[in-house]
Amino acid sequence: MSLVSLDRLTKRYPGGVMALDALTVAIEPGVVGLVGANGAGKSTLIKILLGLLEASGGSARVFDLDVATQGLAIRQRVGYMPEHDCLPVDISASEFVNHMARMSGLPRANARERTSDVLRHVGLFEERYRPMGGYSTGMKQRVKLAQALVHDPRLLLLDEPTNGLDPAGRDEMLELIRRTGTEFGIAIVMASHLLGEIERVCDFLVAIDAGRLLRAAALGTFTQKTGILLVDVDESPQELATRLAADGLSVRVDGHHLLVQIRDDATFDAVRDAAVDLGLGLVRLEPRRGSLEDLFRDAEGDAVSPAHGQAA
Amino acid sequence: MTASGSGGSIYDLGYRGYEGPRLGRGAAVAALLTHSVRTAYGLGRSARSKVMPVGLVLLAVLPSLLALGIIALVAQIGPAGEAIEAISPIRYSTLFPFIAVLVFLFSASQAPELFGRDQRAGVLPLYFSRATSRLDYAGARTLGLLVSLLVLVLSPQLLLLVGRVLVAADPVAGLAEELPELPALLVVGLLVVTLVGTVSSATAALTPRRSYATVAIIGIFLIPNIASALLVELETGLLGQMAVLLSPADVLDGVNAYFFGVSPDNQTVAQAGLPGWSYPVAAGAWIIGSLAVLARRYQRIEA
Repeated sequence: MSLVSLDRLTKRYPGGVMALDALTVAIEPGVVGLVGANGAGKSTLIKILLGLLEASGGSARVFDLDVATQGLAIRQRVGYMPEHDCLPVDISASEFVNHMARMSGLPRANARERTSDVLRHVGLFEERYRPMGGYSTGMKQRVKLAQALVHDPRLLLLDEPTNGLDPAGRDEMLELIRRTGTEFGIAIVMASHLLGEIERVCDFLVAIDAGRLLRAAALGTFTQKTGILLVDVDESPQELATRLAADGLSVRVDGHHLLVQIRDDATFDAVRDAAVDLGLGLVRLEPRRGSLEDLFRDAEGDAVSPAHGQAA
Repeated sequence: MTASGSGGSIYDLGYRGYEGPRLGRGAAVAALLTHSVRTAYGLGRSARSKVMPVGLVLLAVLPSLLALGIIALVAQIGPAGEAIEAISPIRYSTLFPFIAVLVFLFSASQAPELFGRDQRAGVLPLYFSRATSRLDYAGARTLGLLVSLLVLVLSPQLLLLVGRVLVAADPVAGLAEELPELPALLVVGLLVVTLVGTVSSATAALTPRRSYATVAIIGIFLIPNIASALLVELETGLLGQMAVLLSPADVLDGVNAYFFGVSPDNQTVAQAGLPGWSYPVAAGAWIIGSLAVLARRYQRIEA
């Protein structure tokens, strides 16, 4: 049984916009990244899983329950962190999260205890008793995560959880999500348009583009070694390229980098020796890894070359 | 955060799972109902949000307190006082028309708090993605407003009843004297609360803007009231008389007169001369129509 399984799931908005186009994919428990450009259909998919939107065609199942007919049962064990603002300004985080726990069916005393636990988990201490209108974006995002976790869901659906955060806040949020997923065993589906975030947190990736499935696979398979050696020298890469080609290696110059096909360990020695012979300083010698961005480049049919910078 | 020197974090108990009971949908709806009543009276919120609802309740019980004062005084005078009491304008059958404006004001100020705030802050997706459905939400919020209004509408009546029993020379006989009034009092109270509450809920649900909702609700209770007065005055025939049924305020006055068996407080309602039963029927139609608008709104609202 998959955690989430979609079968030709389609959503057409009034006006004809196709948000999801016969999307078929099975998602297993783990920390899953749902990646795609803005408007690719990520939020639409999450809202259909929650029953906030109705699908136009196909079917979706969560915990092997049908989204269309068993929504209530699903929603008791799902947590949702929306992309946009969803916090009233005039009540405190403590009171709000407690109310949301009750709304998930927790008894009064248990709700209070869970609220306190989960606010501590997301790192909100004294501030929790102040009205949320005065919170920073970082604190608001933490409260949004806390209300999604307060009833101990089996599945957490996060829509752009780092939206609006500064770099430090983003790092903290990603770390919090990673810990929640890996240490506490809550399955997570996290939507993001930033590949770098997905790479840091997720172990499985579902890439969608214009409502269609681009690829779904374990993250490792996207970033395996590519058999290419990335070489940086302090000057005249062209000279080194000519020399290595003369040695019988397959070389290509890409801006300031050299990309050398790795044949065996001797390839590394050959590069080193050539640099010494030419009197060039060797700045970097690194097996090139694939990046998630390549995936989207491939899809767009652009230059199919694993030659550009790593994903941020 | 850390214990001295050891480097061990003593406060970080980590995340714990929850193995306790999950009461589900019914408990969630009950929690939202309670939350709504608390919100309507500003409990758990700033002092400023309590001023309006609590102030209105105090104003509403004022006539009853006044009436009780008079009764107590009259009891001192003896038989001569009974004549004075008989002409006292404050009794069960006149109390509601007396405080009607307060009820409209309460509803117009608090219904937007219950329905508009969640729309404004974007909280609806969180409610709709939990153990409740969209209609559960709308129902619990509406019921919350009705309970809050019931406190406002019945407090003065019950205060008057309890006071009269206590002031009576023989409380037991006094109770026996007052009890026959109770059914009419409760039926009118419930009808008033349900009509005002559902009409206000449906109106408030249509907009996230508090000021618009407040003005619209006051408008619904006030404008048709004036329009029907004009139409009845012009004596446009049966159609003109029916206009009072399109005015919720007039309908409520008719309901009050019908169940207490007195003549209507409002000149327009008296002049329209429609059969008494037409008012409870019209009230029912208003309530059903409002609930339909409310359900439709929450089934379609984007979340």
